[in-house]
Amino acid sequence: MELLLALIPLLPLVGGVANACFGSRLPRPAQAMIASGAVIGSFLATLGCWPGAAGDGIRTTLFTWLQSGSFTAEVGLLFDPLAALMALMVTGVASLIHLYAAGYMEDDSDQARFFALLNLFVFAMLTIILADNLLLMFLGWEGVGFCSYGLIGFWYHKGENASAGRKAFIVTRIGDLFFTVGLLWLFALFGTIGIEAINARAAELDPTTLTLIALLLLGGACGKSAQLPLMSWLPDAMAGPTPVSALIHAATMVTAGVYLLCRLFPLVSLSPVALGTIACVGAFTAFYAATCALAQREIKRVLAYSTMSQVGYMFLAVGLGSVSAAMFHLLTHAFFKALLFMGAGCLINLAGHENDIFQMGGMAKRSKTVFWLFLAGLFCLAGAPLTGGFFSKDLILATAFAKGELFFMGLYALGVLTAALTSLYSFRLAYLVFAGDFRGEELPHELPKLMLWTLPLLALFGLAGGLLNLPHLFGGHSWLTGWLGRDGDLLQLPLEMEYLLLSVALTVFLLGWLIAHFRYRKLRVSEPGCLCGFFLSGWRCDAFFDRLLIRPFRVLCRFCWQGVDTGLIDGLLEGFARTCLNWGQALRFFADGKISRYLQGFVWGLLLIVGWFLLQAVR
Amino acid sequence: MIVPLEHVLILSTILFLLGLVCVLVRRNLIMILIGVEIMLNAVGLLLVGASAFWQQIDGQVMVIFLMAMTSAEVSISLAMVVYLNRRKGTVDVRAFDEMRG
Amino acid sequence: MAETTTGLPFLSLLLWLPLLGALLCLLCYRSATVCRWLTLGTTILVLLVSLWLAFAGSTGEAGWLLFEDRSWIEPFGIRYTLGLDGISLLLILLTAFLQVIAVLISWDMRKHPAFFFALVLLLETGIIGVFLALDLVLFYLFWELMLIPMFFLIGVWGHERRVYAAVKFFLFTLAGSLLLLLAIISLYLLHGEQTGVYTFALAALKQTELSFGQELLYYLCFMAAFVVKVPLFPFHSWLPDAHTEAPAAGSVDLAGLLLKTGVYGMIRFAFPLFPQATEKSLPVLAGLALIGLFYAAWIAYLQFDIKRIVAYSSISHLGFVILGLAAWNQTAWEGSLLLMINHGVTTGALFVMIAMIRQRTGTREIDKLGGLWKTQPNLSAFFLLFCFASLGLPGLANFAGEILILVGVFASHPVWGAIAVGGVLFAAAYMLRLVQEVIWGSSCEPFDKSDLCQREWLILIPLALLVVLLGCYPQPALEVMRGPIQLLLGGMP
Repeated sequence: MELLLALIPLLPLVGGVANACFGSRLPRPAQAMIASGAVIGSFLATLGCWPGAAGDGIRTTLFTWLQSGSFTAEVGLLFDPLAALMALMVTGVASLIHLYAAGYMEDDSDQARFFALLNLFVFAMLTIILADNLLLMFLGWEGVGFCSYGLIGFWYHKGENASAGRKAFIVTRIGDLFFTVGLLWLFALFGTIGIEAINARAAELDPTTLTLIALLLLGGACGKSAQLPLMSWLPDAMAGPTPVSALIHAATMVTAGVYLLCRLFPLVSLSPVALGTIACVGAFTAFYAATCALAQREIKRVLAYSTMSQVGYMFLAVGLGSVSAAMFHLLTHAFFKALLFMGAGCLINLAGHENDIFQMGGMAKRSKTVFWLFLAGLFCLAGAPLTGGFFSKDLILATAFAKGELFFMGLYALGVLTAALTSLYSFRLAYLVFAGDFRGEELPHELPKLMLWTLPLLALFGLAGGLLNLPHLFGGHSWLTGWLGRDGDLLQLPLEMEYLLLSVALTVFLLGWLIAHFRYRKLRVSEPGCLCGFFLSGWRCDAFFDRLLIRPFRVLCRFCWQGVDTGLIDGLLEGFARTCLNWGQALRFFADGKISRYLQGFVWGLLLIVGWFLLQAVR
Repeated sequence: MIVPLEHVLILSTILFLLGLVCVLVRRNLIMILIGVEIMLNAVGLLLVGASAFWQQIDGQVMVIFLMAMTSAEVSISLAMVVYLNRRKGTVDVRAFDEMRG
Repeated sequence: MAETTTGLPFLSLLLWLPLLGALLCLLCYRSATVCRWLTLGTTILVLLVSLWLAFAGSTGEAGWLLFEDRSWIEPFGIRYTLGLDGISLLLILLTAFLQVIAVLISWDMRKHPAFFFALVLLLETGIIGVFLALDLVLFYLFWELMLIPMFFLIGVWGHERRVYAAVKFFLFTLAGSLLLLLAIISLYLLHGEQTGVYTFALAALKQTELSFGQELLYYLCFMAAFVVKVPLFPFHSWLPDAHTEAPAAGSVDLAGLLLKTGVYGMIRFAFPLFPQATEKSLPVLAGLALIGLFYAAWIAYLQFDIKRIVAYSSISHLGFVILGLAAWNQTAWEGSLLLMINHGVTTGALFVMIAMIRQRTGTREIDKLGGLWKTQPNLSAFFLLFCFASLGLPGLANFAGEILILVGVFASHPVWGAIAVGGVLFAAAYMLRLVQEVIWGSSCEPFDKSDLCQREWLILIPLALLVVLLGCYPQPALEVMRGPIQLLLGGMP
């Protein structure tokens, strides 16, 4: 079992390294086969380990990575219910996406690099999930950042793609700084970085420290999960190939922040302030991103903002103290968002590599299959009753409602408003893409078979995802909550209250649909208004950060370089050197090369010495 | 000692000053060298005189060293003078001031 | 202290082999090929000897693994004392390894190859000597011996502004080391007066009784030499020029080795000799290190010359190292020394890569480069690897050192640690700019479109393996230096 557990992350690592080192020398199908094989193998290994996960889980230590003084970081894996759930989802979705990518990247000349990075990403993601200590988790944490960087800028010929990758890496690294400080602090307090040990001893801390540490962890989570205020990288990250967006920027990496908070939940949950902050961050991000998604023109950017918004819901759930709700939404979201992105990839292909939804339209006629599958994803996203997204989102909102206090009621209201917006932008997307006639000129590109085959499975999981945690009301037994051992998350609401909540959810869903129906059934091209432009640019956050951080930073750099380094330090040195030079120039007079002057000097010297001795003698 | 030390001292001082003036005043390289030689010999004379006065051999030893060194110095410097004369066609010291800083 | 345990004087062998090679090189100056192979052979031999020492010796002990002591200039109490412990062993391994790389990268040297290779070998003797010497005069001798070959390497084989850079480098380091000489002699006299035994031996001089004022004065003189070499802000101004103008091998040696001699001098001589002054100076050191850490990173962000970016990154990383030393605990010191080794490998590799890029594109201007991946994917992949190692990606070399430093620093001074974490962000900023402008973006059409040749593979593969190995499994290196560090830290603040 231990060996099997070690194989889960190692297989993708081996695949990635193999592709990185020898990929360019292998035939093209072999590259894709190695990559997909490694991930599928990893999926099977996860399945094999699954029975061991129940209860305490299994653990194994491969070797000691760093050990110095009392600081020990081991490469140790921990496979408990939470990790098992996440690992199964990641390897499963990643397997499908790898297969999809094999079709998607058929014509790309640099396929080996793509698959190497994709495999390494899976490895790093699994490291985050399975790590039993924070430093190893941090290795995965930065590792996914690197792979994401490499994949966003995959088509490097365009400078802006590479810039988007750089932005993603640096913005997430700002979050990582907080994570690092939190890690260091936890080690300084406990003398260990083992996740289980920290969770077990979290109660020893005094409340202020605890709150600060929890907030630092939240900072780390915000960076990776694109939550306010470190969210601006995610929309730009859509520059990468579509499978990358599906895997990294929808299903797995952006949920790493949620996973981190769930992993350390025993610690985080001890601080009400931190929980409240997490909930607020989540709710506001959800709302912010939903408004932005309303105005986007590129299909992938709509989905990117919707991802941000849905991850915001997960943060809200963590903030409400319900790990199972967060994980539930994480799982269903992973399925339907991967489906949506991969569907979007198909649509872009069908539209002749056109990203702009205003240039699409009538796509339903180009491929019925893609239409239905994509629609299934959109229904999940919008929270159509009985889909996976409906149950998971509803659980989060109901949890907020069940708390009862004014603060939580406010969050609930914001959540419901966001749900309405979600429904609205989902159907806006659907109408703009599928209704009417095709508005562009491009001819459809052939869809590789492999791209289509993978979608139905995801659609199935997305639609039926609700079964994972079916509430009692619908005759389920909340399996997920039980599996995670979090029976405290179960809601004890009166029946009429539950019906009320359900009807609210249904109402906002229908409301969003209706508005979209009347507004976007026929495309009315109008000049984007002020508000629309504001939403389109993501509330002008990029410009804001540019003013607030980037420009002052450049000024600071310039000051250090030209002001201090060349101006002050080199200037001082130059001045010193020049003074020496001037003295030398002045002394040149005595060395004019004339022998007679030198001889004169001798005589004067002689006289001086003789005179000195005479003077001594006189005394 | 027949000759009193004072006489030797006076003679060598006069000789030294003569040599010094020669070195300082003349512009001809050869004459400057001759002046240097005179100064060296003045010192040699003084050493011999002092050696006789104190009845110690050291002074004479040093004079012999001095003679050997002088001969070497003269041979090198005269060779250099010849070389310099070939280069510039003159032995005037004013012509040789390339070593100015 | 253990006396020489083996019959052969391995330390002397290690020390004088390169000099022998240099002399042979000069003898065969007519044939460049002979010189090349001779130099390569010598450096590889040195590497093998040091590797043998590493594997054969019972490493991990606190004391000297090997020790040699012979009389030299008896009247002045100057002895020929060499000692090897875990720290010097690691640094010598790094030296021997990087010298092989330096020889390989300057394989096609056209300009006076014999003298070039002889100087490289002479430099190796100097550096190894610094890492081994335990007699202060001997140490000073090697300290100055490093300076001369480096001066000529920069001044003769450098790029456009080589003379300016060489003179600046020379004056800076000389100014520092003259103060060092002054302090050594003065300390020697003082010790002689106190005990009646005139000696330059480090172990004896440690026993000298000094008032705090005297200690501080001597300490400052010693540190003047070391701080310039490291270089710590604000004494760094020679480094960007010297790095930029030096030939590839010179840059590799400068960044990989010469900077380390400064740190080594601190931990071997300045700190143990003057413990009180050291204790008082630690906050100052930490402050300067922190300033340098950020300051250099910020400047690096705006540079146009890719070599200058890497040069400033060196200053930034060495700031990290000094910060670790200033934290004064086991973990931080292990991290500092590990980071020194790692920085030597990664920065050395980056300079090697820059030389290769320059060979192909004829420029180091960041504006004129771009899109190298299109024509040279292998080269670019290595470049990417080393850049990410340099910016501290976990699992690659620099991170292992940095995180240990941070852990150590945070344990004793949380505020310093929390500030230093920010340095990592700026490292990402300038390194990613470098990566982006060189290998991504639109293509700059290099005139030489060839990817790596065999010799270049030979250089890069060991470097890459080492970068990964030191990042993923630095335990062996840490264990070797553990004992000596305990000894150095023991009995001090």
